[in-house]
Amino acid sequence: MTEVSFYGHGLPGFKKKRLPGRLVVLEGTDGVGRSTQISLLREWLEKEGYAVGATGLKRGKLAGRGLRRAMRGHTLGNITMNLLYATDFVDRLERLIIPALRASFVVLTDRYIYSMIARAQVRGVDPVWVRNLFGFALIPDAVFYLQADVSHLVPRVLNARGFDHWESGMDFLRAPDYYESFVDYQTRLLAQFDAMAGEFGFVRIDANRGIHDVFQDLQAGIQEVVKDMKPPKHPKEGKKDAKRAK
Amino acid sequence: MAWLADGRALPGKLFIVEGIDGSGKSTQLDMLRKWLVGQGYCVAFSEWNSSPIVRTITRRGKKKQLLTPTSFSFIHAADFADRMERQMLPALKGGAIVLADRYVYTAFARDAARGVHPDWVRQVYSFAIQPTEAFYFRVTMDESLTRISSGRPELKYYEAGMDLGLSKDPQESYKLFQSRILEQYEKMIAEFELRVIDAALPLLAQHDQVREIVQPHLSGALLAERRGWREVLATEALEGRYLDEIVGPGGEP
Repeated sequence: MTEVSFYGHGLPGFKKKRLPGRLVVLEGTDGVGRSTQISLLREWLEKEGYAVGATGLKRGKLAGRGLRRAMRGHTLGNITMNLLYATDFVDRLERLIIPALRASFVVLTDRYIYSMIARAQVRGVDPVWVRNLFGFALIPDAVFYLQADVSHLVPRVLNARGFDHWESGMDFLRAPDYYESFVDYQTRLLAQFDAMAGEFGFVRIDANRGIHDVFQDLQAGIQEVVKDMKPPKHPKEGKKDAKRAK
Repeated sequence: MAWLADGRALPGKLFIVEGIDGSGKSTQLDMLRKWLVGQGYCVAFSEWNSSPIVRTITRRGKKKQLLTPTSFSFIHAADFADRMERQMLPALKGGAIVLADRYVYTAFARDAARGVHPDWVRQVYSFAIQPTEAFYFRVTMDESLTRISSGRPELKYYEAGMDLGLSKDPQESYKLFQSRILEQYEKMIAEFELRVIDAALPLLAQHDQVREIVQPHLSGALLAERRGWREVLATEALEGRYLDEIVGPGGEP
């Protein structure tokens, strides 16, 4: 991260200008394989000698459980849902992501504010309002956008856990069944992500390909982001060299 | 009228009360409610920090002291949004009178007192309905402290603003925090055309002032069909024994 910058007003009371860690975001629609890639990347980075943290939506200590509970019901309105997501997000940002970045971690996050913006916009929420809402978000070091066609997503979702009420947009679309609704909803989400790619500087990764191909692309991208933070390979030898030079 | 954020008028009326703890605003709102119900109007009520969806998160955050100024702000915005989407907006669209105990101004005052950027908070709440009338019950710090300390055992952590680290003593911290909030309220009077009521006046004198401001807005407000069951009891010689089991908070089944 080093130089800290925010999308908007930033966090009240936050004065740090530099954070030594790196913040890496994986974005993309439901079923595109983000969590698989994060698990793989995490292990790889740890093997390379980095301290790695991983986080994702609805996992915060404060609001994660409450948000999941609210989503099991059918009374959650649009604005309320966004604000609960924001609550969970800021909790993870302040109490998990930032402390990890201060401690030189590479933080991998499964989705960031872009998913929340895309979901809100598809549901007709004011785009300016959502962007302001997330104005306290740190600008990440890199955002990798895993891009796959809906036709590729369907079998993956069916293979995993089936169609989900919210991931199919059943809360606001009037499609006759989950399948139709999922296709319609994900198509709309993809259009939102495409439109945001330029605005937020996404690095596009073609996720219609196999897991290994996608992984290699991500590896190459992340290597660029972390390359300056690597400690010298053999610190002891380094010291000896320094002494000898004296 | 109450107005949507985009300026469209809603058929219902929205009256809200603001003021620091111990200003007597809830008492006044309750008197207003009884007066309106007594006249047969359809009245809905909404209270700050009461959404069932958000409540468990707030409780957890407070108990474990997980809240920061920003997450504190969001939690209250979520509470407000849920009550707006499910209680206030539908009632106002249906033409009812809605009474709210605390409104967005509470968030503006408290969040600013916690150092959150005022413009940002106003943007977050930009979806809020503009009330028909907003009352601000103005009370001095000393008076409010006298009133609240007689009624309860001790100040709570966030209530006293202990999260700001202003003072280690809850009483002292409360004073510092509340005086910041008072300052914010004073600034908002002109910005949002708040109706200032002197909360040091006798109860009924305040209530008269509130009535006088509310009265002109009442013509055409939705009336409640609420006395029908009484007629049945009277004409059919019933006692309504089982009605007791289904009586709601307004004293009506």
